[in-house]
Amino acid sequence: MEKVIIIRYCEIHLKGNNRGYFEKVFQENLERALKGIRHEIRRPSGRYIVEGFEEERADEIVARLSKVFGTHTLSVAYKVSAELETIYRTVLSIAPQSGTFKVQTNRADKRFPLDSMQMNAEIGGRLLSAVPQLKVDVREPEHILYIDIRENGTALVFGKYVKGAGGMPVGTAGKGMLLLSGGIDSPVAGYMIAKRGMKIDAIHFHSYPYTNLQAREKVEELARILSEYTCGLQLHVVSVTHIQEEIHRLCPPEMMITLLRRFMMRIAERTAQKNGAQCIVTGESLGQVASQTIEGITSSESVVERLPVLRPLIGLDKTEIIEVSRRIGTYDTSILPYEDCCTVFLPKHPLIRPDLAEVEREEARLDVERLIEEALTSAETVAISQ
Amino acid sequence: MIYLDNAATTMPDAACVRSAEQFLKDDFYNPSALYREGFAVHKALAEARKAVLSAVAAQGYELIFTGSGTEADNQVLFSAGRRGNVVITEGEHAAVYESAKELARRGEEVRFAKLREDGSVDAEDLLAKVDADTSLVSVIHVNNETGAVNEIARLSSAVKTKNKRTLFHSDGVQAFGKLDVRLPQTVDFYTISAHKIGGVRGAAALIRKKGAPLQPYLYGGGQENGLRSGTENTFAIIQFAEVVKKRMRERSALYAHAVEMNAKLRGMLDKKFFMPLSSETGSPFILSVSAVGLRGEVLQHMLNERGVLVGTGSACSSRNRYSRVILACGVGENVADGVLRLSFFGDESADDIAHAADVLNACAAELYERTR
Repeated sequence: MEKVIIIRYCEIHLKGNNRGYFEKVFQENLERALKGIRHEIRRPSGRYIVEGFEEERADEIVARLSKVFGTHTLSVAYKVSAELETIYRTVLSIAPQSGTFKVQTNRADKRFPLDSMQMNAEIGGRLLSAVPQLKVDVREPEHILYIDIRENGTALVFGKYVKGAGGMPVGTAGKGMLLLSGGIDSPVAGYMIAKRGMKIDAIHFHSYPYTNLQAREKVEELARILSEYTCGLQLHVVSVTHIQEEIHRLCPPEMMITLLRRFMMRIAERTAQKNGAQCIVTGESLGQVASQTIEGITSSESVVERLPVLRPLIGLDKTEIIEVSRRIGTYDTSILPYEDCCTVFLPKHPLIRPDLAEVEREEARLDVERLIEEALTSAETVAISQ
Repeated sequence: MIYLDNAATTMPDAACVRSAEQFLKDDFYNPSALYREGFAVHKALAEARKAVLSAVAAQGYELIFTGSGTEADNQVLFSAGRRGNVVITEGEHAAVYESAKELARRGEEVRFAKLREDGSVDAEDLLAKVDADTSLVSVIHVNNETGAVNEIARLSSAVKTKNKRTLFHSDGVQAFGKLDVRLPQTVDFYTISAHKIGGVRGAAALIRKKGAPLQPYLYGGGQENGLRSGTENTFAIIQFAEVVKKRMRERSALYAHAVEMNAKLRGMLDKKFFMPLSSETGSPFILSVSAVGLRGEVLQHMLNERGVLVGTGSACSSRNRYSRVILACGVGENVADGVLRLSFFGDESADDIAHAADVLNACAAELYERTR
């Protein structure tokens, strides 16, 4: 009796002619997630099976695999020879000691002497007499015991479906450049876009010495958590200190954020193009803060020349974003209280509905091109591994 | 690099580390062990205890080695603060302050005495808060943020006059080994620590007047007369004792040097940017200043880039943005935001101090320009 893990995938089968490509990327991502753990991944029809691992690492493997996009569900199963007695003993070993249950058999190997219904009845009957506290309920059982009789003379026995991350394999939908702040929203935006199969790089803006090393460490930690879903990522770190000082020196204080956002978008676009990313991804949610009104978004997007800007959170409420953030494990890091670059020269009353013409007029006081060049020179790239 | 954050921790004295090193290597034995080797370590520990104790207190006191000053403070607060009310000052180190707040959460009455502008306690307010039910008064000896010195002899005697049953504790972590400390008989407990005076972390002590009631904080093998269980950190303790002996030999010279360096730095700092918070009568080892209108942590980062390491009283954090102690001195948030703590060990060179002053002035001027 060997422990194996069954991985069932989601929408890959919808993809017709591309299916082979999707499956290849998916398997590579699975392999990458299990780096450092001895294992073997096989692909019998319609699913993947992980085997050959040390049994005590099964939970760790499931935890890692449940973060790989494209995974629909997972089960830890026992692989045994397809003989009635052996199957029964295995089912018994994982059966609950009380409550209601049913047995659900799937018989791929039609040569097996009992059909699915007969098998359910046979195993269920034996369990009932072996464990007196158990009752059968075929409609709403508390426990379902699954038997999967395969064509190669083996059967898989398991009791649970673990929900996977869903979505599409990362790497099958191009590459984006995520604006990653230290907040709650941007990691969620990265998660959601990666879920649709997009590979991401992230760009973070800091204003050392106005922000501190802890703030930087926090962003690297967020990137690391995110990287478990995105199959690793490159984090580009850019200083906007001088840009903020120049805005502070030459422009009206209430325009700080509006103008800074425009610089960030320009720098993100150039960094995206340099690194083969095909779009910019932000964590903006309509109306959440002053810079995320439609006027604010108009102002920041108008400087992006060639790439689309994707905003996967645009229609979500803060509570919904927080919910995802908690689920994916970035929340506790996001709420660490270090300031980011947006709070340093924070005006008392930021512009809520900036007028584009006025913004452009004020921005003309700045040597935009030189400031961008200077910021790009300061950029560092950190490889964040899963 | 010029290190001016000695109130946070000091560089361990290398010679003293060398002379204690044998207790990490050859003489590693458990001092409670009954064979000769263990007993020899036990005797070395007894010698160390004597050396440290005699540097701070006369007859009638004993010493309990602990793992940190925080631990010693906690032990006193949670042992002595269990009936009536507890009086502490708003200038206490977090080890006392947070323990007192925990006592309050558990239902004890805790009273906080106000500070004066320099960070020392308002003695009148302190005494007014002591009454017939006060079980414990805790007053920090040298304020770790401003360097203000509380006259614990006078305060403890006044407290005892008001209520002779009240126990008096003082956290002396920033005083011991720097100022001339002789405990008066009216002080029941006194906390000292190694790593602020050239020792390594992991050794500290609670000095206790014999007979002053004290409960253990850690229970176990009964070390330290049952008052602090846990196998003794012999290396750290013996290195501590070596450091104490050295500090005692050199104390007046180091003190005089600190006075000189403090005055030099204070004099050289540009008045346009820096306002001293420390009074000139405070400990010379701490000079707290505020770059009013600038942010302390930002300045700290700039100084860091230029090789000068200082402490701050503010943080780029939405929580704990300002130091509660500095605010308790009665200054506004714009002053609290700009606080830098410059702290000496007593062996800095005059050139170092002059260079540090130049860098401080230059950074403040630059930051002022950049954020004007």
